[in-house]
Amino acid sequence: MIKLENVTKTYKGDVPALRNADVEIAKGEFVFLVGASGSGKSTFLRLVNREERPEQGRIFVAGKDILELSSWKVPYLRRNIGSVFQDFKLLTGKTVYENVAFALEVIGRPKHVVKTQVPAILELVGLGGKMDSFPHELSGGEQQRVSVARAFVNRPLILLADEPTGNLDPATSVGIMRLLDRINRTGTTVLMATHDRSIVDTMRRRVIELDRGAIVRDQHRGVYE
Amino acid sequence: MALKLDYMVRETGTNLFRNLSLTIASILTVAVSLSLVGGSVLLRYSVDNATQQWQGGIEFIVFMQPEATQAQSDAVERQLTESTQVERFEYFDQERTFEEFKDLFQNTPQIVESVTPDILPPSFRVVPVDKSAETIESLRSVFVTQPGVREVVAAFDSIRTIRNLSNLIGVGLMVVAGFLLLAATLLILNSIRMAMFARRREIEVMKLVGASNWFIRIPFMLEGVFQGLIGSGFAIGVVFGVQRVFDNIAADQRFSLFSGLVVDNQQVMTTSVFVMVTGVLIGALGSAFAVSRFLDV
Repeated sequence: MIKLENVTKTYKGDVPALRNADVEIAKGEFVFLVGASGSGKSTFLRLVNREERPEQGRIFVAGKDILELSSWKVPYLRRNIGSVFQDFKLLTGKTVYENVAFALEVIGRPKHVVKTQVPAILELVGLGGKMDSFPHELSGGEQQRVSVARAFVNRPLILLADEPTGNLDPATSVGIMRLLDRINRTGTTVLMATHDRSIVDTMRRRVIELDRGAIVRDQHRGVYE
Repeated sequence: MALKLDYMVRETGTNLFRNLSLTIASILTVAVSLSLVGGSVLLRYSVDNATQQWQGGIEFIVFMQPEATQAQSDAVERQLTESTQVERFEYFDQERTFEEFKDLFQNTPQIVESVTPDILPPSFRVVPVDKSAETIESLRSVFVTQPGVREVVAAFDSIRTIRNLSNLIGVGLMVVAGFLLLAATLLILNSIRMAMFARRREIEVMKLVGASNWFIRIPFMLEGVFQGLIGSGFAIGVVFGVQRVFDNIAADQRFSLFSGLVVDNQQVMTTSVFVMVTGVLIGALGSAFAVSRFLDV
């Protein structure tokens, strides 16, 4: 599903954020990216949905070399990739329902699809009763659920999560992880960057560890360190 | 597609109102600059109309009697051909004179109806080598005495003055209008940039979920075009107002010098379309620049 071949990415004049990375992730896998701040986890994720381009190497998503894509086709790549962030990135002026509906509206989905899909996904993440609330009326965990709903409402092949539990307390984090696990079981490939030792140790999934841009460990059913 | 259309309209509308003061500033600047452009185009038209007979360096006209014989006409033509002081000349027969007459008096059809080609004098339109008053006067005195010649009319100083003055005013207006148009384009650019800044989080999310590049761009482009369009609407109002003023001046006997300063409806329409197209172009240009420079999609 995702394949990096000898990928190197350097930000202007700095040490490489990613160095000669070779990784292959199969469809339906759940992968943790771990490592210290600045080790290249976020860069890895940003390369997969082509927010960044590497200086060297090739990146395949769903069998296609995404570096060959012309820029007008990049949005169509991103429709197959959902993204979740530490800071949720919700639109504060829109309700929970509108935030999720927005993701479908801006890719031109017809109204009847929006009307059926949005309540269904909000039900799935456990927010069926809060569709008309605004983000500031929700707890952090609930806001992250909205953001997961928005990322997943279009049923993407891949879900990228950049420290999704970074702003949440441990109990709430467990809830979010259950949700991501559930999404993974539907066949969606999940790639999650995290610092959260207990989550990684509990879930026992594939772990890729980065150190200053280099992949130093790639372990199935791994632990944090 | 229906959803997309009402999304575009809604977004453009919200943007315009979110940024009301800057939007108004852009629209007013477009309006003022295009009014100047429209005004100077109309002025040019009206002066051309008023001095239609005197274009292309023609400095004097030899009018023949309508009943002058062919021999008399040929004699004058020969004399013009042989004269070393004449650069070139053109013969207007009665049919052609009638066409010109209809043109000049098209706003007063009752005058045109009362005239037939055969009562109009044919004429020679003459471009002299030397345009000084003495040369023209000496040429005039030669031809005015020829048999069959009714009169010789020289371009008046007043016509020259009008022409020069209007050129000067026209160029001045265009220069000022040019600067204002530049200011209008920059204002539109900035108002679009502000709109993008106000919506940066939404733009970020749109990129993230895969909204196509044009889907993100178009509401901003439309906003710029709309500002240009509304501004040009005001300017077109001014253009029609200027036509009114010209008509009033023309009708007023005290300003007989300016009696030719009329523009016909066709010319007003052409000017309006020109003003509108310019307005839309300015809007498109300003917003296209903002979108390509600051949107990064």
